[in-house]
Parts: sequence; structure tokens; C-alpha cells
Amino acid sequence: MRNFFLSLKTAVWTLVVLLCLFLIGSYMLPMHRTVFGPMNDDLLFHWVKDVASNNVWQTWWFFAALAGLILLTLNTIFCSIQSVRGKWKRSDFLLRISPQVIHVGFLCILLAHLLGAGWGYKISGMMPEGAYAPLPDDLALRLNKIQVQTDELGFMTDWSAEASLYENNHLVKNGTLGPNSPLFYRGTGIYLKSLNFDRGPAALLLIAKDPGAIWALAGGVLFALGSVTLLALKWGTS
Amino acid sequence: MPFVSLSMTILLFILYLLAFYRLWLMLPALTLHAVLIVSIAIQYGRIPLIGLHETLGFLAFTIGAVAVISGWKRKRDLFSYITIPFILILLAGSIASPAMPGALPPVLKTLWFELHVILSFVSYALFSIGAVFGVLSLLYNEAPAENNQYRSLLLGYVLFSTAMVFGGIWAYFAWGTYWLWTPKELWTTIVWFYYSLYLHARLVRGWTGPKVVWMGIIGFVIVMFTYVGVGLLMKSSHEF
Repeated sequence: MRNFFLSLKTAVWTLVVLLCLFLIGSYMLPMHRTVFGPMNDDLLFHWVKDVASNNVWQTWWFFAALAGLILLTLNTIFCSIQSVRGKWKRSDFLLRISPQVIHVGFLCILLAHLLGAGWGYKISGMMPEGAYAPLPDDLALRLNKIQVQTDELGFMTDWSAEASLYENNHLVKNGTLGPNSPLFYRGTGIYLKSLNFDRGPAALLLIAKDPGAIWALAGGVLFALGSVTLLALKWGTS
Repeated sequence: MPFVSLSMTILLFILYLLAFYRLWLMLPALTLHAVLIVSIAIQYGRIPLIGLHETLGFLAFTIGAVAVISGWKRKRDLFSYITIPFILILLAGSIASPAMPGALPPVLKTLWFELHVILSFVSYALFSIGAVFGVLSLLYNEAPAENNQYRSLLLGYVLFSTAMVFGGIWAYFAWGTYWLWTPKELWTTIVWFYYSLYLHARLVRGWTGPKVVWMGIIGFVIVMFTYVGVGLLMKSSHEF
């Protein structure tokens, strides 16, 4: 059993199976929009509990991919431990450590997905200008002013919204929301998605808290650092 | 406004054709191509990497640049006979695709997006040239060609991974998440896993010869489907 988790063959075949499952998934996603549409709107575990588990004929590939990723995670951990425990020489330190840095980065990214899938929250809704709305974690948001920039033909070129964030009814942060420019406070992000003027100025906002985001960033940085180091070391070799 | 005027397009085609004789003769074509890309960037006030029209042109340019660097000393051979027609096909595809003039949508106005797409297309170019070296290796049984394929794919993988990290940062700032369940993201993961598989086979298992060479060639097909096929056939956050 230990050898199974340590085997490179396990990693290779798991990757092959994952490739096939993601390929199937890429066709299933657009074919069954009612099942997969809410997948990005809420925490993934909520979707799994409320939707995916009731539509197994359409979501089996997702559960199989999840099992494949768990196997790949175990395999990566076992192989990395085995490699780190081997005999080390000063001369090949970087060559031996850089693939493990890549593996740790990959594991951090998987951990980020796990944390983001099960914890935190995602809420979205239309908020009129001047409105005040309570948020989770004893927070509240006031949307003070919506601003739109137009070109000479009157087309919208950019937009923003002034917002104030309150914690236990005390103002804790003022800021300007815009495309690619959310307002962050203690891990919660407030995103301006779009505007609507049908019944007066209003903004479609997303309030999201993802405890995995920092792990994803750390994983991405480690993966990139390990890859660049490995590239530099392996570039001249055949 | 079209990406390039007709006369410039014809001139660009002719200059690329010159490279059939000697690969370094592609330099004038790449210079003109770079000037055209920069002029469009100045005209629109953004990087010209929106839609198939602009991205196919940019991919043709990056493949040309990678081909010149990796095949600088090559004379007229199969490397040119594969690479140059491919560049011309991409250019033709670019011209046939509708242009998307004007400024960037606000959500794309960020350095993270620019780094994400530029690195993605440079990695696509490296994967393409890797496949060309793979064909040379299979047909002529050239050891240096196989090694060149490996180096192209290794560099392509590192840049592709970095592009995905930048894409994740951009998505987090734009949409509040670094991952969306869409066909494009799934295919991007397929590409990532596939080249991880290639590198594990090559570096850890020590595979050499036709098996890994074929893996490099098949990888190119997957990359092209991820770039063009998914965008055209499947609804995604990366629609063209």
C-alpha cells in the first residue's frame, strides 16, 4: 500500500485519469447549465450538498476528479517526504529541493481550493445608491455614490462607487470600488461587478470571503519560484 | 479599423516567406510585425491581445521570434517548412477574424491581465516550436532536436505556470475568485497536468525517444484546442 502511494506510476496514471475527467467535465459544464450554473455562485461544498449530490448522472466526473485529486495529493506528499529524507549533498541541494518547492506550491493551491470550497462566503446582490446593508461578521456596507465616466459619444468607459464599511456600527473603512479594484477588510472583499440604472443608480456587488486566497497566492509564488530554479538548473542538461 | 492595412499585410507575408531561404531572414518580418503591434497598441491605448484577430497575429509573431532564436543557425530545412507556413496560416486566420477596435473593457485594464496573456502566448509559441522539434526528431532521429523540444517545453511550462498565477491574481481582483468552473479553466488545467506529465516522464522516469517526443507533439494539439477550440466551441469566461 505504501509503495502504491510512493509510486510515480500512481502519479502518472492519476494525471492521465484526471485529464480524461476534466475533458469530460468541459463538455458537461455547458451541456447541463442548470446543474453547473450555480457552481461558481456559492461555496463549492454548498453546491455539492444541494445540487451535485442530487444530479450524479451529470456530476459523476466531478466526484471522480475529486477522488483523483485526493490520490494525487497523497502521492505528492509521500513522494516529497521520501525525496527529502534521501541522502543530501551540498552540490545538488537546489536541484533536489526545487521540485519539492514546486510540490509544496501545488499542495498549497489544493489546500486553497479546499478552504475556499468549504469556508468563507459569497453574497451578491443589487444595491441602490445611498443604501445601507448588513453583512456577515458584524459588518455593514453603505454605498455612498456611483460615478460613471463616458467618452465623447456617451459610451461608458469606466465606473466606480464610493463605499463605507462599518463594523458593529462603527465606521472602519472608506474606499472606492471599481473594476479590478475591490475594497478589502479583514479578508472580506467587496467587488463592484456592474451597474444598473433602470430604477435609479444601483450597483451589482459581490461580497466574498475566501480563506484559501492567501494559500493560493503562496502556492503560486512557491510553484513559480521552484519552476524557475529548476529551469535554471536543468536548462543546460539534456 | 483592420489590424493591418492590405499593403502591410502583403508585405508581411512576403517578408515571412523570405525566411524559407534562411531563418534569420525572418528578422525583417518580425521587425515589421513588431512595429504593427506597437502601432496598434499606441492607436488603441492598450495591448493588442483581445479577440482572435489580435491574438492570432500576436501568436504568429511570438512563434516567429521563438523560431528565430531557437533555429538561428539553421539552413533551409523541415524546421522552416513547418514553422513558416504555420505562421502564415495564423496570420491568415488573424486577417479573416473580425477586429475588435477600441479601448479595453474596464475589467481588463490591469497589468495582471497583460502579463497573463503575454506570458500565455509566449508559452503557446514555445509549445508550438517544441512540437516542430518533435517532428524533426521523429523523422531524422536527431538527438539535438529531442533536446530542443524538451528545453522548449520546459521553458513553456514555467512561463505557462507563471501566466496562470498572474491570471489567478487578476481573477481574484476582478471577480473575487482565482478559479471559475468553466471549460476554459478545465482545459487550462488539462494543459498544465499534461505538461507536468511530460516533465515527470522526461525528468523523473528518464524517458527519451519517440514516446516523449510524441507527448510533446500531442501537447501542442491540446494547447491549440485550449486556445482556439474552447473559445469557439464552448461558453467560458475567456470567450473570443
